Formats: sequence, C-alpha cells, structure tokens
Amino acid sequence: MLEVKEVSFSLNGKKILQDIDFTLSSGDFLGIVGPNGAGKTTLLRLISGVVYPERGKILIEGKNIESLNYRRLALKIAMVPQNTFINFPFTVFDVVLMGRTPYLGRFERETERDLSKVKECMDLTGVWHLRERRVTEISGGELQRVIIAQALAQDTPVLLLDEPTSHLDINHELEIISIISRLNEEKGKAVILVSHDLNLAARYCRKLILLKEGRIFAEGEVEKVLTPENIRSVYHLNALVRKHPVTGFIYTVPVSVQTEEESRKKRGKVHLIGGGGSASKIMKALIDRGYEVSIGVVNIFDADFETAQFFKVPCVVEAPFSPITSESYRKNMDLIGKSQMVVLCNVPFGSGNLLNLKVALWAVRERGIKVIVHDGTPIDKRDYTGGEARRMFSSLLREGAVVVEKEDELLFMIKEYFS
Amino acid sequence: MLRRQLTILGFLIIAILISIGVSLSVGTVPIPLFRTLKIVLSRVPYFQGFGSGIPDKYFTILFNLRLPRILLALLVGAGLATAGVDMQGLFRNPMASPYVVGVSSGSSFGAALAMLIFPGIFSVPAGAFVFGVITTFLVYRISFKRGKVATETLLLAGIAVGFFFSAITSLLMYTAASDIHRLVFWIMGGFWNSSWLRLLAIVPFVGFGIPAICYFARDLNIMQLGEESAIHLGVEVEQVKKILLIFASLITASCVSVSGIIGFVGLIIPHITRLLVGPDHRVLIPATALVGGIFLLWCDTLARTVIAPVELPVGIITACFGAPFFIYLLIKSKRGSYA
Repeated sequence: MLEVKEVSFSLNGKKILQDIDFTLSSGDFLGIVGPNGAGKTTLLRLISGVVYPERGKILIEGKNIESLNYRRLALKIAMVPQNTFINFPFTVFDVVLMGRTPYLGRFERETERDLSKVKECMDLTGVWHLRERRVTEISGGELQRVIIAQALAQDTPVLLLDEPTSHLDINHELEIISIISRLNEEKGKAVILVSHDLNLAARYCRKLILLKEGRIFAEGEVEKVLTPENIRSVYHLNALVRKHPVTGFIYTVPVSVQTEEESRKKRGKVHLIGGGGSASKIMKALIDRGYEVSIGVVNIFDADFETAQFFKVPCVVEAPFSPITSESYRKNMDLIGKSQMVVLCNVPFGSGNLLNLKVALWAVRERGIKVIVHDGTPIDKRDYTGGEARRMFSSLLREGAVVVEKEDELLFMIKEYFS
Repeated sequence: MLRRQLTILGFLIIAILISIGVSLSVGTVPIPLFRTLKIVLSRVPYFQGFGSGIPDKYFTILFNLRLPRILLALLVGAGLATAGVDMQGLFRNPMASPYVVGVSSGSSFGAALAMLIFPGIFSVPAGAFVFGVITTFLVYRISFKRGKVATETLLLAGIAVGFFFSAITSLLMYTAASDIHRLVFWIMGGFWNSSWLRLLAIVPFVGFGIPAICYFARDLNIMQLGEESAIHLGVEVEQVKKILLIFASLITASCVSVSGIIGFVGLIIPHITRLLVGPDHRVLIPATALVGGIFLLWCDTLARTVIAPVELPVGIITACFGAPFFIYLLIKSKRGSYA
C-alpha cells in the first residue's frame, strides 16, 4: 500500500535521512522509534507529502505521491501532528468536521454521511460532549483528542501519528492508542506511529523501525529491534529488556548511561557481599560512579545475580536455593583478595549464607581489607541462625569494620576512602 | 447556527441601506430624510415625478457630493475590513492587519513622490497604488524560498520594508517642507476628494477582490489548524496563500490610493464581526465586509458633520474608536482567548 523506496532527504545541506526503504501493507502497525534528531518527524513529513524526497520515491497504492495533488493524497493519508494551535474560536465540532474536507467540493455542504462519521469519531475519542465548546478554551489533551477525531473522520487507509499522546494523561494515552489499535485490527487501517516512548511503541506496534542519525538501524519484529545491544548503540544507554509478566509485552527500563570501560577501572575495586537484592542498588550506584565491582556469593536467579549479569561484573554463584559450598566460599575469598574494599550489604542471614558473613570476618581479620557494613536493618531482625550471625557480626565490628546505616553515607565513605 | 448567521447578514444589509439614507441627509446643508428619499427615487424609472419642485442644488449635493463619497466610504471600509480578515487568517494571527506587509508605507511613499514630482489629481492615487503593490511584491519575493512563502519571514520582511519606505518618505518630507501639510493630510486619510471617478477606480479591485477572497473561505478555515495540517487535509496551501496575499494587497493598495491611510478598520472590524458570527470564514468574510462598510460610512459621516463646515480626517475618527477597542482586546486576551 505504501512503499518508501531508497529515500534520502537533506535540509540546508545537512543530511537528515538516508536510504530509507520499507513498505507498509494494509493492516500493518509500524512504529518508528529513535532518539531526538534521528529523523522520525521528517520521515512522516515526507510520507505525508509536505516535503518531497531528494532521492528515491514514495508510492501510495502504486502512485508516486509527488504526482498526486494534496486533495487526492488527503483521501489516502491522514496525519496527527505533535502540536496543534488554533487561534480562532472554532467549535470542537467544526474542527472535527474539517476532517471531511477532502470529500467535499468547494461550496458543497456536508451531507448526513459526513455528519454521522464525525459523530462516530468524536464518540470514539470521547470528545462528543465537548462539541459545542470552543477549541480555544479546551485543554491541550482535549484538543489532541479532537485532532485525532478529525484524522479518523478523514477515513483514510493510512494513518500517521507523530507523538500523538505527548499531551495526554496516561489513561487517555492507553485509550486513544487502543482505539487506533482496534481500527487497525478490525478495519485494516495501516498505522505508522512515531514515538520516543519505546514501551508504548513495543506494546502496540507489530513492527518497529529504529532510526539512528537518519538511517534505519534495525527493523522488524519488536523483539528483534528492541534488544539491549541495539538500545545501547542507538541511545548510549544500558537498558533492561524484559517481557512483562502480566501483559506479555516487551518493555525496556533504562538503567544507566553507558560508561566507557576505561573509566570504570579508574576509581578502585569494591567487592560486594550480598544476596536477595540487597546489593543491587549499591552495585548500580558504584558502577555509575566508575568503580570496578565484583560480588559473591549469590544464588542463580537471585535479584543480585540478575543485576550482576546485567552489568557483567565478576560474580561468585551458587545453585538456586542452595547453601554456599566451600568451593564458592573459596572463590569468594579469591575475589575479595583482588579488591581494595569489601561492602557487606544489608542481607538477612540464615544457615545457608552464614559463610558470607564469615568471609567478611576473614577479610578484615586475615587480610586487613577495609570492610564497610551496611546495617540498614538491625542485625537482630535479620538473624535467622539463632544468634550465630549476631555473634559473628559483633566480632566483625570489634575487628574494625565500619557500620553505616544509610546508602548515601556508604557511598560517601567509599568515595572518601578512594580519594 | 447558520440561520442566526444568515439573519445577521440580512440585518447588516438593511443597516447599510438605512445608513446610506441617514448619511445622505445630514451634512453642512441638512436635507430632510423624506426629501432625500424623494430625490433618490426620482432617479428610478417610473418615479421621476418625485423630484418635481425640489431645487437643483439638492440634486447636486446628493448625487455629485454625498452619494459618491458615501459609496466610496462603504467600499473602502468593506475592502479594508476584508483585507484585514484575510491577513489575520493567512497569518493565523488575530493581530494582523491589511498593512502588515508594508502596503501603507509603500503607498505613502508613492503618494509623497507623486506630490513632489507630478502633482495632480490622478498622479497621487496612481503613485500610491503602484508603490503599495510594489512593496507587497518586494516583501513577497524576500520571503519566497524553495517554492514556499515562509509566513514568519513575510511578517518580518513587511516590517523591514515598511520602515525603509517610511524613512524615505520622511526624507522627502524633510527636504520639501512646503508640501508637508498635504502629505500629512493624505496620510491621515479622508474622503474629501471623493468623486464618481475615484469610486469607479476601486470598484474592480474591491468588487472582484472580496468575492475572490470568499472563494477561499473554507481553505482559510482549515489553514487555522496550521499550514502542514491544511496540506494533510488537501488544501493547496502555497497557492492559496499566494492568491489571498495578492487580493488583500490589491484591495488595500486601491483603497489607500483613494482615501489615504485609514487605520484600525482592517484590525478591529474582523474582531467585532467574529464576536457576532463566529470564526467560520464562509460567513465571517461577507459579514466583515458589510460591518466594515457601515463602520467607515458612519466614521466619515461623523468626520464631515461633527465640527461642520470644517472636516476632520476620518483616520482620526477610526483611530479614536479603534485604539481604545484594540487596547481592550489586548487586555482581555491576556486573561484568555478573545473574540
């Protein structure tokens, strides 16, 4: 239906888009994502015929859009822009009715069919109750829904959306995109959604195009495009990519801005003793600040294990739900031996991980390594060994381990130690 | 809604007829309304009898002095107001006026040049018209890039070219001190030089221009969404902009050439009319033309009667009404949307 063939475009000598090539069929729901300035909006302006490509061509139903006049194009493609400002007090109804313009002759009055189409679209986007209001008096979100109703009233096979939900509350955002999604599924309306919101795009689009500096960096199924590797190369960002356990949609969580391997090694080596997620936040904070981090002993599938995997830090692991073996204990000692500091995280102790407490004692007593204890929860409340952990904890303090209660204190102390 | 709008249009047409009648009968030589009616009717076939017994001087006053003047004021008011609503729609800016693209400064320069080089009854309007059009063309060329007119550039170029012509006009006035008062009078605007000939000179521009602008009313409505959105709805934006700019400028230049720089009609009348009939240009444009005509006719009637036999420049009257109203709009627009 829509073919974009090797399109390039530049503005004032600067190349905005290069070799863009894709097709859109009836029933497709395509997302175009990418950072600011990647050329997303320009691509929409090309497809909607506002500007023509410098090289390549764009075909709609086999016809070059440059050969169509704006009215014929308006029967094929509707567009919802990012922002609309209207200075004069038209009624909401009149503005939606403008969507029917391509169907009307210059002096022709709107027919019953036009009016019922307008009513239908206003009902869909929930603005029918605003019909008598002036567009100059409604909120930005309401206006955006009015403009979406207008684009739906245009009743075109292709619908382009440029950040259509940037002014909407989250409930309206889901509502509007669901409506468009339904029109796409039931009536085969082809949709192109430009968005900076990766999760929104991942949730509704069946295919994605990831733009980087005016070129297609990746395209295809959502899972294939939104990989941590692609996100890292395009956004310079470390992100978690997961399937949501409830909805089953792919979602991404930006975790940290990418730091160079070099800077990570500059500020000193810290070994974390964690488990049960007690070390994850500290791990991220230390990595963000450029420390080299290792961790042990944690069980596979433990939250701290996942974090360590994500940041690719050295990690001593134990089988899921198993007590620490002497082998892991030794490996942990090896890692501690290579570090300049040990942080004992706020982890509950049971018989299975008592060796993690013991190793801290070993570090301070036998190796004289600086040990900081993050004592967020009093030891009494996280001792499930019947007093054994508390006794070891006390001797740890006697040997000179430092106790802090808050995380920012901890980070400050580490900084002081290494400077 | 439409019915209400048509009713208002009907009222406006009746108001015009009444205004003409009243304005014909008032003046330095008052003529009773009834006698005025009889004189006018006597020119209509089968009613010649009504004119018998009325002195010839009344015929002269009505047909050679007042009627052309009244019709000229009507046409100029309608023309300027329509050009104003056109420019406001084109620029999507309720503060635009027919003079935003520098027509007034260009025309003043043309008038000043004509007064100094070829003084004469026809050279001044001709000079004003020619330079008004030249200014618009210049401003248009400056903002034309890659097949498109950048609307913001158009505004700025209008201001810049306008200042340039104003400066040259000041220079001309400064060097030719003896003719200053004539130019000052001309700039203030007025209808004291009205004649059937002047009326005929602007009829083609205003008479053709207003319907031509009406023809693009729906496009103007849609362009209020923004130029790109209008393209997405099938409006040939660049073409429409060009045509609307040409007609507004021709109307403005022709009006200015016969009556000088009459301010505020093109700015406030569209606002008042928008309050009356709403922003839909399909009704707004004809209604604005009618309201503009009535407004300027009454301003001119005041101008020639308020301290008769001395006449005030009509530009002073329109500004006296226009400026306070405009300030009122500005204050109101700070609190929310207006008109």
